[in-house]
Amino acid sequence: MAATGSPGVASTLDTSVAWDAVVIGGGVTGAGLLRDLARRGLRTLLVDRSDLGTGTSGRYHGLLHSGGRYVAKDPSAASECIGENRILRRIAPFAIEDTSGYFVATPDDPDDYVERFADACAASGVPCEEIPVPELLRRVPTLNPRIRRGFRVPDGSVEPWSLIDANVADAVALGSRALAYHRVIGFDRSGERLLAVRIQDVRSGSVYRVMTGQVVSAAGAWGGQIAAMAGAALKMAPGKGTMLVFNQRMTDAVINRCHRSSDGDIMVPVGTVAILGTTDIPVSDPDEWEVTRAEVDRLLDEGEKLFPALRRMRLLRAYGGVRPLYDPGETGSQSREVTRAHVVLDHAARDGISNFTSIVGGKLTTYRLMAQDTADVVCAKAGVRATATTADEPLPGGDHGQRYHWVGGRLAAHEAEGGGDAALICECEIVTRAMLQEALERHWPCSLDDVRRATRLGMGPCQGGFCTFRAAGAMADHAARVSHDPGELGGMVASAMSDFIRERQRGTQPIAHGRQLQEALIVAGFQWGTLGLDSLVGEGGGPDADG
Amino acid sequence: MPTADVAVVGAGLAGLTTAVRLAEHGARVVVLAKGNGAIHWAGGPLDVAVAPGAESPVAGVRELAGRAGHPYALLADDVGPAIAWFTDLVAAAGLAHAGSLEQPFRALPTGLGGTRPVALVPESQAAALDPWAPDERLVVAGPAGFKDFWPRAVAASLGHPGTWGRLGHPDRVEGVAVELPDLAARRNVNALRISELFDEPGWRRSSLDRIARAVDATGGGSLRVGLPALLGCKDHAAVLHDARERLGRPVIELPIVPPGIPGIRLYDVLRAALRSRGGRLLLGESITRVETRGDRVEAVATSAASRELVTRVGAVVLATGGLTGGGLLGDPDGRLVETVLGLPVEGPPIDRWITGNPLDPGSMPVAVAGLRTDDELRPVDPTDPAAGARFENVRVVGGMLAGQRYLVERCGDGVSLASAWRVAESLSATPPAAGSRSGRRAAATGGSR
Repeated sequence: MAATGSPGVASTLDTSVAWDAVVIGGGVTGAGLLRDLARRGLRTLLVDRSDLGTGTSGRYHGLLHSGGRYVAKDPSAASECIGENRILRRIAPFAIEDTSGYFVATPDDPDDYVERFADACAASGVPCEEIPVPELLRRVPTLNPRIRRGFRVPDGSVEPWSLIDANVADAVALGSRALAYHRVIGFDRSGERLLAVRIQDVRSGSVYRVMTGQVVSAAGAWGGQIAAMAGAALKMAPGKGTMLVFNQRMTDAVINRCHRSSDGDIMVPVGTVAILGTTDIPVSDPDEWEVTRAEVDRLLDEGEKLFPALRRMRLLRAYGGVRPLYDPGETGSQSREVTRAHVVLDHAARDGISNFTSIVGGKLTTYRLMAQDTADVVCAKAGVRATATTADEPLPGGDHGQRYHWVGGRLAAHEAEGGGDAALICECEIVTRAMLQEALERHWPCSLDDVRRATRLGMGPCQGGFCTFRAAGAMADHAARVSHDPGELGGMVASAMSDFIRERQRGTQPIAHGRQLQEALIVAGFQWGTLGLDSLVGEGGGPDADG
Repeated sequence: MPTADVAVVGAGLAGLTTAVRLAEHGARVVVLAKGNGAIHWAGGPLDVAVAPGAESPVAGVRELAGRAGHPYALLADDVGPAIAWFTDLVAAAGLAHAGSLEQPFRALPTGLGGTRPVALVPESQAAALDPWAPDERLVVAGPAGFKDFWPRAVAASLGHPGTWGRLGHPDRVEGVAVELPDLAARRNVNALRISELFDEPGWRRSSLDRIARAVDATGGGSLRVGLPALLGCKDHAAVLHDARERLGRPVIELPIVPPGIPGIRLYDVLRAALRSRGGRLLLGESITRVETRGDRVEAVATSAASRELVTRVGAVVLATGGLTGGGLLGDPDGRLVETVLGLPVEGPPIDRWITGNPLDPGSMPVAVAGLRTDDELRPVDPTDPAAGARFENVRVVGGMLAGQRYLVERCGDGVSLASAWRVAESLSATPPAAGSRSGRRAAATGGSR
């Protein structure tokens, strides 16, 4: 990766050096920890079994919490949210769309909750202003006209991948590193200490032994698996949240139901789309779950109370994420009842492992505080006195905030920078060939799904129908430039496309109706019919197949 | 108030050919379409039928005709005459086809780096029908910087013999990207624009010479040249002629991601054929309502540019393209809705719409949905077909017909043409009844206006 001037996601490893700390899990919390520890002087290595931001961080609804969703049930979580909300606006404006948000009372919402909402916000320090209903309906005309009350709060929309990239880049500049596609497979333990982390490069199969002073698990819902490998007991209570992506922003502000949080009660505008969230279903294995049509129906039923025309709007896909919830009492309660607060677990006291720490629970909005609280514990163990500076030092990524996303903004910015190759690879999300090329160089070797996270490739209405071939073509050209194995190109192109198509279709299957069903059939018509995709990626396909 | 003997709804292959054929029989025809049909996405080959064990389209039609509920069970005998009529029609306008229904399937390489079985192709793909000689190469060449064709990736995928199945393959495949004049300065050039540049003789010659030099640089010996399917739009025959002459090699146009220039060429020819026979084509006309009386549709209302147009009709042909074309809509509650007349639809339940391995074209069982018809292609209730046609003067063609697994069976073009043929014969033989003087006149004279 150094060969292509990467900002930090390394793919090779020198095991002769010992690290001050190894962070396991490349979500936003792990990336924040990498940065925090690096800034306090610990040379830190971050590892993730997949690309960074592929777990819960990359699979959430995009809400930058004002704290309003917690004011009634969990006032301290609400206070944390508004505090971090203000900090993130300052240190990471590039990742935030300042949409603002509204809590609206539908006829179904209980009066007592609505009556107390403004006072509860005040008690938690969440700014809240009541907006007269006619004014609210003027601002968001797609809302249910039977809305009774509306309160404005400083919600926003946040893009996780650029936030992760910026945290990693800041740490790498200080000598730390991040390794994508490296899975932890075990630890070397001597008495009370973990001496080394054993990791495997999932692409090459190579196994490395990484010497380290401290081990920190930021593996979220997978934290129990990591702890078990270290010989510690940790029971997570993962909760699946399903979200629906609409191809239009029926609102430019976040819309929340003014009631005790439940299914399908929040709509977040994110980039070119809007995302309805969420369900909350306990799962036993964070890797084994699927989105069902029944969940989709449930979300639509609830979402219609906010936006009556919802079922006539076009759905692009459904996806799910797994909340990293931790039940301190291990009572087995329903996951919406489990605290959203984060907890730093010092495994010295719990499990007799002196240099092992886990961070569990929490939410994306408070990732920085989670990292700071964890780093405080880790630094105390390591005998480092430095304190956190992450709340004050802006992240690299620019100071340009966005009031509202504009789909042409990307092209305008590209042209303002001198243009270059502006051939549109992905028309839905305005991904130019130059942007694609830059992503390939930064993340190589990588999959098209990695490129998607870096660029939003394939995330719009056609869900990769057109851009998959183009991106695979660009990838083949890139591979031919940087490596010298043309014999493998054909297989690489085919598997790059089939992996991406499989991943994109996974999200469209449970929501395929209306215009998106039509789109799926149009894409199938030219992919299979016109272009013979089956000859490349089908199993048992080919000209005489009759699947 | 405008009147027509027949209003054809939809401007894809099925709708346009139905209209042209009816106009040939002397009917006053109007095509009303919301927009361009899927013909604008077509890559060249005419897909008639692919079935296990069938070595040629005619055998495929026989096999599919034996499947209960398949359109070919009604239309098998119409396929031959329909294809013959269609290929003669477009050949007269400069778009000749090669191959036949009896032609054993061959593998046509595509711009995705895959292959597909073909037996009946435009002249520009005829070279794909010849078996590959033992040392013969394929050189894939395309304009550098064109986002819908990546010669290196295409060649890499086509270099795998497995991509070609058992239908024969070249000995080697190479890819070359060629800088063509003026393209580098264009930011976001598309296939249609490049095809129009090929229509210009000067640009075409210098570009073909550059391509020829790049191909020659890959070495000598026996080879064919694969180029993206954009060798001219309005003047394709001349472009193909020049390409063969200047490259000195057999040329194969490889289908690419839409827009499909080979389909647009057909569209242009069919539109001209319709107009020359007195038919009309109105795009941008969405059907807003229909007027019915008893078992007849008497008028269709369309809206465009905020005014309503009511056309009195003797008969209506639904050529609205199934789920792909918007003639059917799958609503969130699992109902399949026919969007013009609200006719009952045959199709799988919602939990079987899309299912299984997404890399298998059989994973979209919903594609089989459509309208069940009687022998004259009049729609019937699929739950009670014996009750007869709901509307005596409505016919169904192309992708609206139930029972096709077209993604697997590759039968879409054959069903479109055969059903168009059948409907045109049927409506011409039994002219629209009461109230349509022109219908009787057309049937009586059998000629054009």
